[in-house]
Amino acid sequence: MFRVTMKEDLNEQDYYLEVEAPHVSRHWRPGQFVIIVTHERGERVPMSVATINGGRVGMFIKKLGKTSVELYRDFKVGSSLYAVAGPLGRPLKLESYGTVVLASDAVCGHAEQLGLAQELAKLGNKVISIQTFKTEKEVYPEKYLAKKYVDEHFITTLDGTAGYKGHYIDLLRELLARREVKAVFAGGVLANLKKLAEATAGLNARVYALVRTIMVDGTGMCGSCRVRYNGVIAYACRDGPWFDARLVDWDDVLRRDARFKKVEKIALDKYLAR
Amino acid sequence: MSRVVKKRFTPKVLPVSERLRSFGEVVLGYDYETSVREASRCLRCPLWFAPCSKACPLRVKVPAFLEYIVKGDLEAAARKVYEDNLFPSITGRVCPQEWFCEGSCVVSKIGESVSVGLLERYVGDYARENGLDEKILAEMVSKNSGVKGRVAVVGSGPAGLSAAGWLRLRGYEVVVYEALHRPGGVLAYGIPEFRLPRSVLDHEIKKVENLGVEIRLNHVVGKTVLLSELLSEYDAVFIGSGAGTPKLLNIPGVDLNNVYTANEFLTRVNLMRAHLFPEWDTPISVGKTTLIIGGGNTAMDAARVALRLGSKPVVVYRRDREDMLKTARRDEVLHAEEEGVEFRYYLQPVEFLGDENGFVKAVRFEVMEPLNELDERGKKKIVGTGRYVEIPADTVVIAIGLEPNRLLMEESGLRFNEDGTIAVDDHLMMSLPGVFAGGDAIRGESTVVEAMADGKRAAEEIDLYVRRKKGLA
Repeated sequence: MFRVTMKEDLNEQDYYLEVEAPHVSRHWRPGQFVIIVTHERGERVPMSVATINGGRVGMFIKKLGKTSVELYRDFKVGSSLYAVAGPLGRPLKLESYGTVVLASDAVCGHAEQLGLAQELAKLGNKVISIQTFKTEKEVYPEKYLAKKYVDEHFITTLDGTAGYKGHYIDLLRELLARREVKAVFAGGVLANLKKLAEATAGLNARVYALVRTIMVDGTGMCGSCRVRYNGVIAYACRDGPWFDARLVDWDDVLRRDARFKKVEKIALDKYLAR
Repeated sequence: MSRVVKKRFTPKVLPVSERLRSFGEVVLGYDYETSVREASRCLRCPLWFAPCSKACPLRVKVPAFLEYIVKGDLEAAARKVYEDNLFPSITGRVCPQEWFCEGSCVVSKIGESVSVGLLERYVGDYARENGLDEKILAEMVSKNSGVKGRVAVVGSGPAGLSAAGWLRLRGYEVVVYEALHRPGGVLAYGIPEFRLPRSVLDHEIKKVENLGVEIRLNHVVGKTVLLSELLSEYDAVFIGSGAGTPKLLNIPGVDLNNVYTANEFLTRVNLMRAHLFPEWDTPISVGKTTLIIGGGNTAMDAARVALRLGSKPVVVYRRDREDMLKTARRDEVLHAEEEGVEFRYYLQPVEFLGDENGFVKAVRFEVMEPLNELDERGKKKIVGTGRYVEIPADTVVIAIGLEPNRLLMEESGLRFNEDGTIAVDDHLMMSLPGVFAGGDAIRGESTVVEAMADGKRAAEEIDLYVRRKKGLA
């Protein structure tokens, strides 16, 4: 069950992992996520979905904490994950908006772009994609970029070694100044989503952000993922994970994201030292 | 008749000193001799009268099984229990017996009630340890000829497991859909193992699987598989999805770090084994002092978990101890007290205060006082005094209750009550024909034994429904 069917490097830190999970793929819609558990002692980790191929679910994962490093090192094609559950969360209700921008600067955001781009194109939107990487050698292989599904595709790098020099927010500002963008969908680094919300504060367009949170069950049972949204408490797992970026209390999200920083390091150090 | 023994025999209990850093079971139960002596205290009320049995949601024939214990025929005692209750090792441990069987025991008029719970547990454990449970169940299921139909069960908690077991015994093929990666529902994520050891729970689940029930893990009904699909694939559906969503306090600071809902706090430990971090991957962050807000069983569980994680637990309840005993199982309160959990009464939280890093550092409470009036649940009504106190704490657990998980609501065609519980008719059937429900999903917050009783009754109703539908009844 939940056999690994493919594992490939995206760059030095990020990798693509594909597992068999036909029960998840049947009803999955863009915007929904999965929860994976590596082994019996594993934690429940929410993951954005990059690809759905038949009964296989593909994810982009960053080698960051113990689980993601262990998954990269110890799980090979043919190994099995302990659990894959989903699809979870609310699918995005996508419409024909006109011109839309997809923006991302980290694994989860890059992953969600693929599904969103295809669906938005199907609905007749003019889709512009911006994918931000630190530097040229971190840019994903072409087949894992949203490029093939969109009308216009931009790579940006922070050091300017490839594509536009700067962050997706910088390029987005320029686009917004000269194009009539009707909707923005952004995912990735939380602190940058806060900046995005600020940058688009007065904008007459919809701005959606992927609110990545720490979850346990992922079905609305524990409240670990709670987000202050439009003044009330929402659960990212049940009511999200996509929200109107400008109604999210980002300071709250950022603070709660740091809850386990100390202990997370203990787990990784212990794993690396074994 | 010999004179009634007024005092109950005490079970073996793990010494307090050994409990502080251990998740081992606290109540170790009776041995054979003590169970015979305790069972002998029963006055053998005839079954048509026995208040204990009538007070039991499952209608366990208490005097009858106690009589077999007295005779030393534990297999017969087990058979008697299994006629009504498939999970005596669970109910014997987690039932608030003082509200049910023991609360209505005739002996309690002149002394202490008979310890029905401990005796039920003794019989259940004896059956399990000697392979009798499987034997009894195999005999019960073999009375059926052929398959009467197929039923899907949503949720593998007490309601779902019970429904699945009883449906199987009635000759149905049963598939249970469970959202999490481990079965058991609240028995797995909510109840700590010092009250219900994992080995006992695992065995009870295995027992149901060995009857031929299939449990499909990682399946969220409403997401992974839709109710409409279940309805077309099965003859009927039973929903035992529980009261899975925590109520939060709508007061400032509720989002601060280290403010947990009881569900998150308990799930991290009970289901995900965070107390074994980093051998197990899920972390929990607990400081020196943990304030637990609430006064029910969940609050007791959270307090005793916090204690075992090395924190100092303080339970803060807005009423008094007497009223707390109307919402928490007596034994859990007593155990928490003897383990050194501190209790503060008549305090209602008004604000969580945080430090510069966004972690909670104290809770501000309003001092409450009782009115000379009772509410609908028989508890004293309370009113604020306008006086406030601050209690320092670096961890807070909110244990003020649960409401049904609304995930299923997102699928249309179902009627829900205003409080989110599922509306059912007298036959436990929902507004959608063929869909039955029970347990906390229809009751809001209730007990394990009532959920099991719903599961059992739903099995009966589903049997009738399916046979009628197929023209067999």
